[in-house]
Amino acid sequence: MLASSSGVIKELPSMTVSQREQFLVLNDVVFRIYSDFDACDIATQKFTYNRLFLIYKQLDYLTNGLRQRGPSLSSLDANRPWLCYWIIHSIALLGESVDDDLESNTIDFLGRCQLAHLGTSYAAVNTLVTLGIDKALSSIDRWVLDVGEMDVRACYLAISIASILNIVDDEITRGGIGGEPGSEAHAGNTYCGLATMALITEVDRLNLDSLMDWVVHQQGVEMGFHGRTNKLVDGCYTFWQVNLLFLFVSFIRLFMCFHEYRSSHEENAHDEDDLEDSDDDDSDENSNEGLLLPFSYHLRVRPVFDSLNLQRYVILCSMVLEGGLRNKPGKPRDFYHTGYCLSGLSVAQHAWSKDKDTPMNGDILGSYANHL
Amino acid sequence: MHGRPRKAYKPEEEAASAAKAAKLRSLQFQFMSNHHNKIYTKEAVDLSTKLLEINPEAYTAWNYRKLAVEDKLSRIESDPDLVKTILDEELTVVESALRQNFKSYGAWHHRKWVLGKGHSSVGNELRLLDKFQKLDTRNFHAWNYRRFVVELTNRSEQDELQYTDAMIGSDFSNYSAWHNRSVLLSSLLARKADGFLPNKKIPDEYKLVQNAIFTDEDDQSGWFYHLWLLDQTVNVETPLLTSSWPSHGSRINLSAGCLNDSFSESGSFPLILYFDQAVGGVSSSTVTIDTELKGNEDLVWEPVSKKNSQVSCVWVARLKYISSEPCFGKEYKVKVKIGNSPGIVSSRGCNFSASYEFVFTAHVHDTVEESSQEGIVSWTDGFDIWDAESKDLNALTTLDRSNAQMDSKWRQEAIAEEIDLFRELPDSKIGKLTLARLLMAKAMISDDAVKGVHYNEILELYKDLMALDSSHYQYYKDVHSVALLRKVTSSTEDLSGHLFRCRNMNNSVCLRLNNLSLSRIASVEKLLFVQMLDLSHNELHSTEGLGNATSLLPKSESQQNPEFFSSGLTQTSETAESVGCFTQPHR
Repeated sequence: MLASSSGVIKELPSMTVSQREQFLVLNDVVFRIYSDFDACDIATQKFTYNRLFLIYKQLDYLTNGLRQRGPSLSSLDANRPWLCYWIIHSIALLGESVDDDLESNTIDFLGRCQLAHLGTSYAAVNTLVTLGIDKALSSIDRWVLDVGEMDVRACYLAISIASILNIVDDEITRGGIGGEPGSEAHAGNTYCGLATMALITEVDRLNLDSLMDWVVHQQGVEMGFHGRTNKLVDGCYTFWQVNLLFLFVSFIRLFMCFHEYRSSHEENAHDEDDLEDSDDDDSDENSNEGLLLPFSYHLRVRPVFDSLNLQRYVILCSMVLEGGLRNKPGKPRDFYHTGYCLSGLSVAQHAWSKDKDTPMNGDILGSYANHL
Repeated sequence: MHGRPRKAYKPEEEAASAAKAAKLRSLQFQFMSNHHNKIYTKEAVDLSTKLLEINPEAYTAWNYRKLAVEDKLSRIESDPDLVKTILDEELTVVESALRQNFKSYGAWHHRKWVLGKGHSSVGNELRLLDKFQKLDTRNFHAWNYRRFVVELTNRSEQDELQYTDAMIGSDFSNYSAWHNRSVLLSSLLARKADGFLPNKKIPDEYKLVQNAIFTDEDDQSGWFYHLWLLDQTVNVETPLLTSSWPSHGSRINLSAGCLNDSFSESGSFPLILYFDQAVGGVSSSTVTIDTELKGNEDLVWEPVSKKNSQVSCVWVARLKYISSEPCFGKEYKVKVKIGNSPGIVSSRGCNFSASYEFVFTAHVHDTVEESSQEGIVSWTDGFDIWDAESKDLNALTTLDRSNAQMDSKWRQEAIAEEIDLFRELPDSKIGKLTLARLLMAKAMISDDAVKGVHYNEILELYKDLMALDSSHYQYYKDVHSVALLRKVTSSTEDLSGHLFRCRNMNNSVCLRLNNLSLSRIASVEKLLFVQMLDLSHNELHSTEGLGNATSLLPKSESQQNPEFFSSGLTQTSETAESVGCFTQPHR
């Protein structure tokens, strides 16, 4: 029974679409997956982790995606640079590289992109950086920035491709950040907001404690992350939320000082060797400035989110046997989810280690070969 | 697009799709040509309509349409009927695009743009929104658009509040409705609208949310709203000064003659102001110094921040004390007044309003003196227990007390009621967490006598949660550390138990926080007077905030010797060996 503010008792309503989905996902699918899995012996479990994580299947899915620019992609025309980025980034995460033909085709294609937009520019730049070809950056010499909707994402995109833009002072709602003033806190926007503030070193304006409060409680009972309060789990939020926590932790990282000196990592916004998201480097750069460790620490710290169970969600629920990753069981795979689930998984695996330390055996679910 | 399924194609379908794709490409080509050549004929615009029907995400097509509309409007000499026709057409195109994809950013943005031209009735828009709410009550595009329409048409916020009432009443797990409620209330409370005073309204809201929370404990929506309410109850938007160095009533020793001491090298010492949030505008016009020390008429204040940020919690200026006059043991009073003139503003736009003043004494002498011993009681391992009556500690809590004065009766009552309620809850994780948060809030606005008691209960709760909810173990551990440090710095009794003087280090004031299982540092602003900090045998992974405090205090040469500092923090779960030394000006 529910009492409204006017004191009238009402019947509990029938479920909305979202609630029904949540119920189904939780009870029918995700928990059944978990209980079936838990019922197996250790050897079978290990086998399952490894069987799902077949790198060659993932690569097949990805490289075919890059080769085809088939009819089914017509609705994503505006997003082709994004596809390149998601696919190539995923391939890099898996520790592989693209063959030369495909690589030069991709670069050509990006150079010919006429529908340039903040988003596609960002995707294009990151693709080229991942491919590790500096001179290819100059192939994009014309940035035609269409006027589109202005929100947190646009700021992040613009700033992270090194344009100067006015900062949209979005309200921080309940710790997270919304897309525009008044909006609900949303994982994607919160990530963009925090990363933007990090890149322009204005993080002090944010209430990091309350942001932490919000993010930590977005890990759902299924152990995957939600995008907003009381919404459904989605594999891609593994990236948006976990990277948030990673950024957050790097601001409050340990340092001892007895004199100041400049960071030797300065000016290295995109480390080509680093297969994790390039923004980690940006935040490293900022937090390294000024007060520094004259010698480095290798500290192992338990992360504030449940990393192993998150990895479990991604591997058991997001991964598709034939290759690729998806939002949740029941939804189809796509390159967007493949890119962000794998990225998030990588960050989760590295959650215990500092900087570019390799994770230990216990940090990675399944065999060490699953390390991204 | 996020969440859109992609179907696998059979060969016949493949061929059909290929044909479709070819057609699409030729459409796009034609469209781009129209766009570049600024062709806005009916045929050209119809082409863009077709494109948008196929793909509502083609943002260039939306932009083109904006340009086309501008072009048309400029030709028709503001005939209202014609304008209406043109804009109606746009609204229709948006509607059909939204029917295809009601989460299309481009479509919603275009509609906002059209509305901005002053067309369409509120009724129309709200009807449209109702349709979308029925499809998905959490569609944030629709909610954003609703807020946009409300603002554009000056619809009453009270009416909107009733709307959220209805939405929440029919589905209390609709967090978007709760969220909208919080946005509306923030605005109504901020402008003190009729019947919207916080001391009445916030307690009412607590009652409303209790229904949701106690009906279904697992539903996050109510809990997050409750957290927001707590925020409103506790937080004072206006920035406050939390501490300073030197602190009120303290006495510092400055050496005028020593050349080796880099501290006095520049003949100046730092004056530090620590605020509870990042502020800008601290300058010699907003902070006035009244002293006989010459050369301090126009102080330059700088924020302690990274790169070029103009805001910070911590601000510092340097006061000169060396002059041509001889000075043997001369004492100078320094009076600092903050906030007499407006100008100090938080990064959220709130003015520092409560003016505050503090006084300290600077004792200038020619040679480095042994500072006088104070109240040594007994000693162990070279640490002497420090006299708890010291003026430094008193200054610590004075600011707390004056800051807590703000309109506190209704706040205390609201929190007390919630605490009673939550103590009744059986063992639930979220219940315990909420109770801990409530107790923290209470401790912040209570007087000294009761503080200690609350903190003990808080620490117990977080310990329970670490055991009950292992997924969030580290999070609870961090908050536990924060609470512990708040407790330590909350009263002179608590603090003096950890304060010592270190004999080997010129009787420096040492705060020993060893063996406390700390994983995080907090309350640094209370520790500016500390000269040595012992953090050994903890589990720290962060010293956030310490950097601020230590970076601006000068270090004397003798203390720059690397051996002086221990090897730093190496952390394993068993031991962490370290003594951190953060040097301070010689007192």
